[in-house]
Amino acid sequence: MEGASTRGVLSHLSLLEVQARSRGSQVPQQPSRVKELKAKVEALTSQRDQLKAELQIHKKLQKLRAPVDKQRVDGEDEEMDVDSESSELFHLMARHSELMDLLHAHNLIGGYDAITTNRGKSMCFSLATQYEGVYLDTYNLELNLKPNVRISRHNIPPFIPLNSLAEQSDLQTDVRAFLATVSQHLNAFAGRRQQLKLVKEQHKSVEVMESNLLCSILVLMFTVPKKTPLLCTLEYTDHTRCLPTQVHLNCEDELLPDSPKWKKNCSLLMEVPVHRALTAIKKASDII
Amino acid sequence: MDNSAKHLLQRLVRRIPVSMLKSTLDKWERLTAEKRKSLDFTQSKWIITQELVALYITENPNQGMWHTFQLVEPEDDAHSVELMQFKELFKSHLRELQRNVSVKIKKHTDQAVWIRVAWGDGLSSPNHLKATYVVLYLQTPYVFVNALSSKHKPLLLQALTLSTRHQQIKAANLSGQKLTALRDLLMRQYQQVKLRVEKVQAEASANRHRMARETFGDGMLPALQSAVFKLETKFKGPTNEAMTQRDEPFICSVKFSSSNLLESLRHCASSGIASTPVTPMLSSIPLKGRNYFVITDNVLTA
Repeated sequence: MEGASTRGVLSHLSLLEVQARSRGSQVPQQPSRVKELKAKVEALTSQRDQLKAELQIHKKLQKLRAPVDKQRVDGEDEEMDVDSESSELFHLMARHSELMDLLHAHNLIGGYDAITTNRGKSMCFSLATQYEGVYLDTYNLELNLKPNVRISRHNIPPFIPLNSLAEQSDLQTDVRAFLATVSQHLNAFAGRRQQLKLVKEQHKSVEVMESNLLCSILVLMFTVPKKTPLLCTLEYTDHTRCLPTQVHLNCEDELLPDSPKWKKNCSLLMEVPVHRALTAIKKASDII
Repeated sequence: MDNSAKHLLQRLVRRIPVSMLKSTLDKWERLTAEKRKSLDFTQSKWIITQELVALYITENPNQGMWHTFQLVEPEDDAHSVELMQFKELFKSHLRELQRNVSVKIKKHTDQAVWIRVAWGDGLSSPNHLKATYVVLYLQTPYVFVNALSSKHKPLLLQALTLSTRHQQIKAANLSGQKLTALRDLLMRQYQQVKLRVEKVQAEASANRHRMARETFGDGMLPALQSAVFKLETKFKGPTNEAMTQRDEPFICSVKFSSSNLLESLRHCASSGIASTPVTPMLSSIPLKGRNYFVITDNVLTA
C-alpha cells in the first residue's frame, strides 16, 4: 500500500518535472513572438500614416485643382481645334503610316521591335544585340515624331555618340538608316565587350592590363614559354566592328615581335575574335 | 569633402608612431590587403596620411557636393584617348597653367578615372587638405568635380578639355551629394524606358502607374537627393493685383529634397498626387539628367 502511494507521488512529481521542463522551453518563444507583432504594428502604423498623409494631400489638391482643371479642359479644347487643322493632321497621319509601313517591312526582314507610345506621338524602338548567337543586352530608344523627329528617351550608354550619329544620318527623312547605324555601333560594342568577358573567363593566364568602357582598347599581358612577358595592345578604332584595326606588341626581347611566328599571330588577332585567337595561339604553345 | 573626418584621420595618424603605423593599419582591417599593399610606408607620415585620406574619399564618394560638367565638341581623336595618354596630357596641361600642383591619377576597376589635385601657387606648396577630386570615364562626356574653388575652376576645366581632346566644357546642371546617384543617372544604368505592348487600361490608377514607370523607370532609381527650379516668370495670381501688374519677372526658387527624389516623384505620379502625363518639368530630371532648371515665361531653358 505504501509502495503504491509513493509510486503515485513520485510519478506525479516526475510528471510535473516534465511539464515544467517543456514549459521552460516554450517561454523563450514568447518574447520573439512579441517582437514580431510589435514590428508588424510599427509597419502597419507607418503605412497608415503614409496613407493618411496621401489622403490629406489629395483633398487639398482637389480643392486647388477645381478651378485649374476647368481651365485645362477649356485649354485642351483649344488645342484640339488647332490640331484638327487638316494639313497638320494629315501630315502627321501620313508620317505615321509611312513609318509604320517602313517598320513593318523592316520587321519582316528581321528589323527591330517598335511600338507607338505617347498616344501615337512617339515611337519606341527596341534594339537587340547579339554576338556569336548569344543574345546580349537590349537597348531602347524613343523618338518623338512631332513637330519633327527628335530623340527622346533612351537607355543607350553615353559612350555611344548618339547625337553625332543622329546628325550624320538625317533623322527627318531616314529613320531607318539612323537606327541601322545605332544598332551597328551597339552590336559591335556588345561583341567587343563579350569578347573581353570570354577572354577573362577562358584565358586566366592572360592578364588584362587595360580596357575602357567602350571596349575600344584592350591591353593584354602574355607569358611566352621562356617566361618573357609580352604586352599586346589591341586598338579597335572602327567602332562599328568587333575586330581590332591595329595590334601592337611590346617585349623586352625586341626581336620577338618581329619573328615570323609572332607576325603570324598578329595577323591572326586582326582577323579572328581575340578569345578564339588566344586559344589557337595557346594551342601552338606560343604563350602559356 | 567632410573636413571633420579628414581632420580626425590626420590627428589619429599623427599620434601613431611611424614604426607602429603599418601594424596598426593591418590590425584595423578596414582597408583591404590590396589597398594596404599600395601604401608606401617608406614615405613621410604626412604623405601616408594624404594617401589614407584619398583612399577614404574614394571609398566614400557620396559626400560633399559633386558638380557635373559635360565635354562637348570632340576632336577627331577624342574617341581613342587612352589612359596613359590622358594622364600625360592632363598633368602637362595643368602644370602649364599653374605651377606647383600635385596631381594623382588612378583608374578604378569600374573604369572610373579618379584625379586628385592639390593646389599650390608660385609661393606655397600644394595644399593637400583642400584637394579637388575629379571623376571621369574616358569616352563619356561627363565629368564630376568636388571641392573646386572658383579661382582654380577655369584652370581645371581647361586642362580637362584639352586632355580629353574636346573643344569646350560646360556645366551640366546636375549636382548632388551622392556621386553614385549622379553617375547612375547619366550613365543610364537603371531600368528606363520599358517596351511593353500593354492594352490601354480602363483603370485610371493602372494608367498612372504605367506612366509613372515609363517616365521615371522601373525598380531601383538613382538616389538623387534634390532638384532646384529657379523661376523667372511673371507673377500670376488672381488675388494679388499689385504683384500681377508688375512687369518684372517674379524671381523665386523651388527646391525639392528627398532621400530618393526620383522614387518620390514616381510615387507621386503613380498615386495621383502629381498629375499624369508627368509634366516635362519633372520628367526632364531623368530625361535630361539634370537637377537645376531655370524657367522663364516662354520655355524651360536648357
